[in-house]
Amino acid sequence: MLDIDSLEVSYGAVRAVRGVSLRVRKGELVTLLGANGAGKSSTLMAIAGAVRATAGRVRLDGADVSGATPEAMVRRGVAAVPETRDVFPDLTVAQNLQLGAFTRRRDQAGVLHDRDTHFARFPILAERLHLPAGNLSGGEQQMLVIARALMSRPAVLLLDEPSLGLAPLVVDQIFGMIRSLKESGLTILLVEQNAAKALAVSDHAYVMRLGRIEAEGPASEIAAATELKSLYLGAEP
Amino acid sequence: MNPAQFVLDVLSLGGAYALMALGLVIVYGILRLVNFAYGELIMVSGYTMFLVSGSGLPWLAMAACGVIMAVAAGIATDYLAFRPVRAKSVTAVLITSFAFSTLLQNAALLFISPRPRAVPLPELFSRTVEFAGVITPVRNLITIAVAVIMLGIFSWLMRSTALGIAMRAAATNFRMARMMGIPANLIISAAFAISGLLAGAVAILWIGRIGTVVPGIGLQPLLIAFIATVIGGMRSLQGAVLGGFLLALIDTSLNYTLPQDLLKFRDAFTFSLVILILLWRPEGIVRGPASGQRT
Amino acid sequence: MMARRNWLTFVLLGGVIVLVAVAADLVGDRLLLRITTNLCISMVLVVGLQIFMGNSGILSFAHVGFMGVGAYTSAVLTIPVQMKGMALPNLYPFLADVAMLPVVGMALGGLAAALVAALAVYPLMRLSDAAAVITSFALFVVLHTIMYHWSDVTNGPRTLFGIPKGTTLPLAAGVAIVAVLAALLFKESRVGRLLRASRDDEIAAASLGAHIPRLRWQAFIVSALLAGIGGALWGHFITSFSPKQLWLKETFVILAMLVIGGPRTVTGAVVGVLVVTASFEGLRSLEGAINRADVLSEPLVGMTELTLAVAMIAVLALRPGGICPSREVGYYLFRRRSRGP
Repeated sequence: MLDIDSLEVSYGAVRAVRGVSLRVRKGELVTLLGANGAGKSSTLMAIAGAVRATAGRVRLDGADVSGATPEAMVRRGVAAVPETRDVFPDLTVAQNLQLGAFTRRRDQAGVLHDRDTHFARFPILAERLHLPAGNLSGGEQQMLVIARALMSRPAVLLLDEPSLGLAPLVVDQIFGMIRSLKESGLTILLVEQNAAKALAVSDHAYVMRLGRIEAEGPASEIAAATELKSLYLGAEP
Repeated sequence: MNPAQFVLDVLSLGGAYALMALGLVIVYGILRLVNFAYGELIMVSGYTMFLVSGSGLPWLAMAACGVIMAVAAGIATDYLAFRPVRAKSVTAVLITSFAFSTLLQNAALLFISPRPRAVPLPELFSRTVEFAGVITPVRNLITIAVAVIMLGIFSWLMRSTALGIAMRAAATNFRMARMMGIPANLIISAAFAISGLLAGAVAILWIGRIGTVVPGIGLQPLLIAFIATVIGGMRSLQGAVLGGFLLALIDTSLNYTLPQDLLKFRDAFTFSLVILILLWRPEGIVRGPASGQRT
Repeated sequence: MMARRNWLTFVLLGGVIVLVAVAADLVGDRLLLRITTNLCISMVLVVGLQIFMGNSGILSFAHVGFMGVGAYTSAVLTIPVQMKGMALPNLYPFLADVAMLPVVGMALGGLAAALVAALAVYPLMRLSDAAAVITSFALFVVLHTIMYHWSDVTNGPRTLFGIPKGTTLPLAAGVAIVAVLAALLFKESRVGRLLRASRDDEIAAASLGAHIPRLRWQAFIVSALLAGIGGALWGHFITSFSPKQLWLKETFVILAMLVIGGPRTVTGAVVGVLVVTASFEGLRSLEGAINRADVLSEPLVGMTELTLAVAMIAVLALRPGGICPSREVGYYLFRRRSRGP
């Protein structure tokens, strides 16, 4: 479904991503692991078109989409949730969700139907519908940005550190939701620091270090390979 | 001094100032571009009305032509002056907008005339009327009415339409807005078009006070919009409106109280105020929409 | 001290100025002498602006304001005493009896501009981007309003006349050469280097111990000094002027010269002045010829500025660094020479 070949990203003189190649098959949940600064987020943002790749190819269902703008990627069915958890704080929850469906604004009935489906998953959002998104808690904001990304009915979801800075209980909730999204058939590329939890829900995993892919394999194998842990675990147990 | 007169003066001046400020801030809020060519949109509108004045169209149709051309000129600013340098430095964008302002002014000098040209105005504009015990020009009441209507439309647009909400989102976090599938070019062109629309409305009200258009007519509205925007907080739409009315209050009060030989230094005072405000709060008094962190 | 290739740059740029001045002098045509003197004055102003903009990367709109400070200061100090009774009847008594030599007035004009800059702009120097541009523009409006309305000293919006002629081509060329030297020395000075480092990366420069507002302030003062001297040279060349001649059109021309030439290099400033002056004068004489031919119902105005505006936008879009984007002319020649056999 998603094919990345020799992707490079540089910020000035800093080469954040150095020739990353990876593949996400349809319906798969693939995790990208690595310590802070390994280039995971840059890889994800380059796929989403939000960061310009200096070299390499991105293919979506075989079509070359390298260098596409972020808005074009959304239209092609790739939605991204950056780790910065950017809700539009002055807009209400409802308006945030409406923006998520910007590419489908001709299909209001479908949009409202989808919104109700997401409310079943995140009932708290229905309660907060007319509050400014800036007033939500961190966990609620995370649910909002994920629900908002889903409003475009993506074929592929790029999730960057969804558990970052959240309370353990909320983290469990988020991972439960990721699992259910996968079961509903969505293709997901996940970037996580919480390796144990991420590997538990993933099919396949890649480990990045200093801008390169150091290892890859089925999630269970990566989880079992103790020698890799120092690469991606950082300070966490 | 009659208090009703004072209030009426502040409201009619403030209405015009608020529209001027809003037209500048709608572009600045989204693009961080101080559009020096904004005043020339007003000029374009004025000259359009001059050019169609012999056509025999009803006045409202001529005014509509003026507004439409201001919108077109706003969009042209985007395509000719902004897009080619968008990816480059802030400084480059500022300089092109300054150059584009010079370009439009000199085009007017070259193709029309350096001398003032009369703009058609309905007879109503020059009439006076007694209102709340004061005699006031009808155009002041028209200004207040137009300002209220335009601000109403604008507020509805930004609150209730998909485009307006998308523009507000883009003003807070342009990158994230694009990641919602909102096309950057659409938002930018819309901002310039709305800026032109407001400039067109301002042109009719502003030129309605003078009756003629000259190539340099845009400078004063631009300066007013600068001050009002800075007072109101650079990036906040409500702040721009508030700033417009505040500046009108300051100007009118100074007009009533300052002696003539100090009054001529008014611009020096107001612009010193601008500097002080920016030093105190570079983002302006009313804080704009909280910006999401960027990586 | 400057590296050898910078001395080479200085010699080349100074040589060009000398060459242009001597050539104009040999031809002896009055119009040409006039244009060349104006060119040298523009050189002082544009090189002055380059010192601030080129090193700090911040756009300043106030430059022509400081040019005005210099022009008016020198004018007030040098207008002959009996002339002052007519030109500035309400001048403060302590200034009414002063009549200095033009060169002294010019030096003091430059110092006055530098002093005003030193006192006024320090707090502004911590702002960047849009806030910096709007404050510099606001400062320009403040300076302009004062010049426009302080009738006792500037004769208000009316033309101030009776300024003694003191600017000759050799003087203007000499000052232009000094300005080029000053800009090159500044660029290579510690302040200049740190400032350029801060332009590219504020945090890194600050970590080197650079106090960025103070560096910008120092550059601005030097820049205002040259603006003031340039303004005074201009005043003593045209001998009568009004504040309307120190406003946005002049700002545009000076900015266009720097942007088209290349704001990051002194070579760019010099080249910009030469290129823009040449095309400006060419267009203006074309405009004049069309107007003299009387084929149009109204005189043609604005074509020159219109063309310049288009050229400026084109340069920014296609070659954002200007004609000489990053290296001084001496660099290329030096490299070539040291590579030779």
